[in-house]
Amino acid sequence: MKMTIAAKKRLEGYTFILPGFIYILVVLGYPLVYNVILAFRNVNVKTFKSGTDVFVGLQNFIDLFHDPTFLMVFKNTFVFTIGCLVFQFTIGFVFALFFSKKFTLAGPIRGMILVGYMMPMSVSALLGKNMFDVSSGVINDLFMKLHLIQQPAEWLLKGNTAMAAIIAVNCWVGIPFNMLLLTSGLTGISQDVYESAEVDGATPLQKFLHITLPLMKPAIASVLMLGFIYTFKAFDLQFVMTSGGPLNATDVLGTYSYTLSFTQYEFSKGSAAAIVLFCCLFIVGLFYLRMISKEDD
Amino acid sequence: MVKKRASFRSPKESRRNIILCVIAVLIAVVFLFPIYWILAMSFKTDAESFGKIVTYYPHTFTIEPWVMNLTDREFLSSLKNSLLIAVFSMVISMVFGVPAAYGMGRYKVPGRKGFLLTFLVTQMLPASLMLTPMYLIFNKLHLLGTYLGPAIAIASGSVPFIVVTLRPYFKGVPTALDDAARIDGCGVFQAFFKIMIPAIKTGVITVVVISFLNGWNDLAYSMTFNVKPEMRPLTANIYKFQSKYGTKWNCIMAYGAILVLPVILLFVFLQKYIVGGLTAGAVKE
Repeated sequence: MKMTIAAKKRLEGYTFILPGFIYILVVLGYPLVYNVILAFRNVNVKTFKSGTDVFVGLQNFIDLFHDPTFLMVFKNTFVFTIGCLVFQFTIGFVFALFFSKKFTLAGPIRGMILVGYMMPMSVSALLGKNMFDVSSGVINDLFMKLHLIQQPAEWLLKGNTAMAAIIAVNCWVGIPFNMLLLTSGLTGISQDVYESAEVDGATPLQKFLHITLPLMKPAIASVLMLGFIYTFKAFDLQFVMTSGGPLNATDVLGTYSYTLSFTQYEFSKGSAAAIVLFCCLFIVGLFYLRMISKEDD
Repeated sequence: MVKKRASFRSPKESRRNIILCVIAVLIAVVFLFPIYWILAMSFKTDAESFGKIVTYYPHTFTIEPWVMNLTDREFLSSLKNSLLIAVFSMVISMVFGVPAAYGMGRYKVPGRKGFLLTFLVTQMLPASLMLTPMYLIFNKLHLLGTYLGPAIAIASGSVPFIVVTLRPYFKGVPTALDDAARIDGCGVFQAFFKIMIPAIKTGVITVVVISFLNGWNDLAYSMTFNVKPEMRPLTANIYKFQSKYGTKWNCIMAYGAILVLPVILLFVFLQKYIVGGLTAGAVKE
């Protein structure tokens, strides 16, 4: 039997696509399903070895939401994410606007400040740990020289300041990233629109409010949603910089799930915490997907 | 992005140019300070790096912290592990990712929307979600304590990234190129390797670099699946070296500097590829 040209083309297409697709299904899909199963059973280091784990329904989730540490971690994750988003987005936007002006160093410096984004997060965290150190940290030294503080602050030893320090380090990475994505949104706006507005006598503020913002709406929405997704699932930064301390003050869902599974060996509890993390991401992810699938094809 | 060389003729324009440049330099100073700091710290003596008086450049310059690390057997084996994990995960990602991107970009197969959606979603999955189930699965498959375990896991993030990034590149190659290949008697796979991949060289360099860095920068997977320090990469051994060096911040910072060095070198030489790759798939222009 001879295949039609269309059928042959389809077969070719699948030959290219399927290996990658199956890889993802096996390596991500299967663990994802297994994770859900784990979250509804009582697998820990003992029951896993002996194979005596049983179905426990929602018990792991009920336990988690009755655990004050988990509730704190849940809150921390939102504080961290929203704190980062506010600064990253605002400053990133200002930088994107600033570097879209024409001046000699605009291009080179915009490129240079992106380097933080490429660094391993674990090294940025290590740097943060050193710079926010009480006695030998450069942040305390600078702040005292500028008379912003009188005494060296115990940044990483107190809950609130530790969270602030972690947010600051994350913004060092996040601001350039936001700037980059918003810049590509800005370059998409045609200069003609601004020129005709100038002819009509629009002020810079009017131009920003009535031209830039409305035309940037898709880029802004996409940057905020991506920012949420990437920040909410943070792990390396907290793990290396504070190990979630002091007293879980900087622990987030990602690190807490790890602690449950790999220091307490409560695999099912760890999975349940990861599912809570996933559900939060999923809600925001749905909006993101709806938006980009509208634009595509 | 079109680069235009701005010319500033009037004195007013050139004054504006200078002011903007000064602000830009200030921004650069703030953002590059941490990079300077890690290097400055790594060339200080023990006493200077942990003393109560903070110095802004090494008053006594020494390469001792670098020598400490580079002559340490544990350090060298971690460095080897970092390289192997990064290369393995990059190769796996390319083998599965590039053909899939090609298929998605150039064939209108039924179900392609579903495929694309899957790749977009999986690109955003958090590592923490995968750690527990993968650990238990790898335990059964005897993949714990190997290079392959972390490499497989890391590639699961890089494959979707490659598909999302390269698909538009493949889409943009003119169809005349396929036809020419067919006339020359190239088979489908020959055309893919000999014509398509060279045609989108820029995109390929981008995904090679970024999927290498995904492996090089990984902490969560390598740390979880490789419990023994001898199998861990540099990122996952940070804790071990921190307790080994104690308050010798100069040695810890030299450790970090060596870990960052390849990233900075890649960034300096291949910046345009990296920057292009970062925006692809995130914001549609």
